[in-house]
Amino acid sequence: MMPVGNLTKMVLRNTVRSPRHFVLSAFGIVIGIASFVFFLGLSMGVRNVILGKIFPLEVVEVVAPRASFMGKDITKKLDDATVDLIRKRPEVKTALPRMALAFPAAGYGSFEGQELKFEVGGFCDGIDPSFLADDPRLGPLFKDWEAEEAGHHPACVPPKEGEQNPCADPEFYYCDEQDNACHRRVPVIVSPTLLELYNGQVASTHGLPVIGDLEQFVVQRGGLGRMRFNIGLGETMVAGSATTVNDKRRRVEGMLIGISPKAMPIGMTVPIQYTRRWNQEFSGDEAANTYSSIVVTLSDKDRLAVFSAWLQEQDLRLEDQLGERFATAIFIVTTLFVLISFTIVTISSINIAHNFFMQVSERRREIGVLRAVGATRTDVSLIILGEAALIGIMGGVIGVAIAYGGATMVDWASKTYLPRFPFKPPTYFDFQPWIIAGGLGFSTIFCVLGGFLPARKASRIAPAQALSQQ
Amino acid sequence: MTPARHASATASDPTMIGSGPVSSAAVIRLHDVKKSYGTGAARTPVLRGVSFDVAPGELIALVGQSGSGKSTLLNIVGGLDTADSGTVEVLGLDYHKTTERDLAALRNSSIGFVFQAFNLLDHLTCLGNVILPAAFTRGAVDVEARGREALRRVGLADLAMRHPNELSGGQKQRVAIARALFGSPKLLLCDEPTGNLDSETGREVIEFFRELNEKDGVTLVIVTHERRISSVARRIIAIRDGELVEGEDVALGPGGPS
Repeated sequence: MMPVGNLTKMVLRNTVRSPRHFVLSAFGIVIGIASFVFFLGLSMGVRNVILGKIFPLEVVEVVAPRASFMGKDITKKLDDATVDLIRKRPEVKTALPRMALAFPAAGYGSFEGQELKFEVGGFCDGIDPSFLADDPRLGPLFKDWEAEEAGHHPACVPPKEGEQNPCADPEFYYCDEQDNACHRRVPVIVSPTLLELYNGQVASTHGLPVIGDLEQFVVQRGGLGRMRFNIGLGETMVAGSATTVNDKRRRVEGMLIGISPKAMPIGMTVPIQYTRRWNQEFSGDEAANTYSSIVVTLSDKDRLAVFSAWLQEQDLRLEDQLGERFATAIFIVTTLFVLISFTIVTISSINIAHNFFMQVSERRREIGVLRAVGATRTDVSLIILGEAALIGIMGGVIGVAIAYGGATMVDWASKTYLPRFPFKPPTYFDFQPWIIAGGLGFSTIFCVLGGFLPARKASRIAPAQALSQQ
Repeated sequence: MTPARHASATASDPTMIGSGPVSSAAVIRLHDVKKSYGTGAARTPVLRGVSFDVAPGELIALVGQSGSGKSTLLNIVGGLDTADSGTVEVLGLDYHKTTERDLAALRNSSIGFVFQAFNLLDHLTCLGNVILPAAFTRGAVDVEARGREALRRVGLADLAMRHPNELSGGQKQRVAIARALFGSPKLLLCDEPTGNLDSETGREVIEFFRELNEKDGVTLVIVTHERRISSVARRIIAIRDGELVEGEDVALGPGGPS
């Protein structure tokens, strides 16, 4: 075989001397690879947003299907035993119960000078504070403060309207009307989904400020004390329904401490000890010991099917998995685009073969000369295959560059012309290294395949006949 | 060209036209070489059992009519074509027992070719054409300097960076000769080297070959119609209808022997 350096020089020289041939051969490859990289990057980008931020696939929610017999509710109860059972499954990394409020509640307060009222019952659940232990900012705030400060509730006189909060640290404490003592406000977190909905829909329609960084927003408004609101336990905003439960009602104060994807998507989330106590107080023992769902983090999302099958055996099921549906849709769309790209590149490969067959015919005499001065058949094959590979590499690089350019334009157009919407990403693309490597490899391999038969033909040219050609 | 000259040219040579004893130091040894083209009814014999030897330092004119098989014979000797049967041994390499790689290496390092149609690559400069064999040589050194030296020997040192399409026919043939000489070959095979040249340029080329043979000891086999080449050849091998012609006189005229 000829020295690699000489082969490279000869391949480069031959490619440069025939730009028309290069353009004709590389055009389809460039288009194919550009579409391959562009659409795969787009799919990965969209996937990141939908499955990474909106519907994480690794995190699933286990619920008990509603069931009744002879009018009696026989729905399986999600209790600590169920949680323990789930935790023992090999495909489960963590299992944390959620407990929703089992009675009506309403929230009210003011926000940015506007009166705010919202339903809490049905839109509030509790999670174990350990769920947020890995969050350095929220972890220290998201606690069961009643247990932490048990027996240390200074007495106070509930202030009348217009009076100052009498508690020592008014930013975090309020005077409870039930026991006339200062209590720490209930820590509340909300999900990024809710924040996106607020930014995308509520803020624009109500003339409220868009919240980019909540922490900064809170600091600008004087601290967490400004993010407080009332929770009317036993009250409801739903028209036509009873405004109290068993004539029982109580006011507590909550405080929004931050944003976490671990909060329920639409609603507010508090430490589970609060919901357990409130359910006990308003709905009894069973409500205080029954979880609404169990949030399971899988060790591997590919084990979801196994876990799902096991749940069915336990009369449990996964909450409707929108993420799974989106994942399927994304997979189908991605596959479709990849198939289209494959088709383009395959046709290009055939085109390359055609072009190279023509080239080999036109270069018979040249090939004869190379053989006469010492080229082996392998050398001739390698020269043709090298030219095909170079077209593949260059076509691939140009294709990748076009894909990047296209992506930049799409992102720029989105940023410039599209209005804000929930989860609007700064980029729709995620060009992971394997996509780029795949595009270049794909391009090179198909070009080499396209050059294979012409290279074989070239290597079989009889030099004597080629040299006698007029 | 006279028979006497042939006789004198071959007197010290153990090889006789068409047959004779075989020298162990022969550059070329052919024995009963046959070659046909086509298959079945269209099969056309081109060489019908050719045998001869060429000793080192010979300058041989291979003459014959168009279609007589002389170019085919030259290609077989050069390893550019294969014989159907018979023995071909060049510079100690038996073509039937050797590999394609060794044959290519032989063409690369020990055999030079000069063609009637020059066969230069237009996209390369003169120097690029001359050093083309080095592309297939491992560990080639001083390639450019050697290429320039080869061009200097044929009187084209100043045209090293020109492209073939900027040259006259005579200049192109000299570049082709420089390419053939680049690897300092022991054997130079020339197929109608003056066929596309005017008489003056042809004369210069012939003179160059003669000097190359006499001063450098390069063995030359020249397929030709030219009387002038025959006049400088130290031996003439005539071929007719695929067979060597044994005779007293081989008269040459335009387009072949008359």
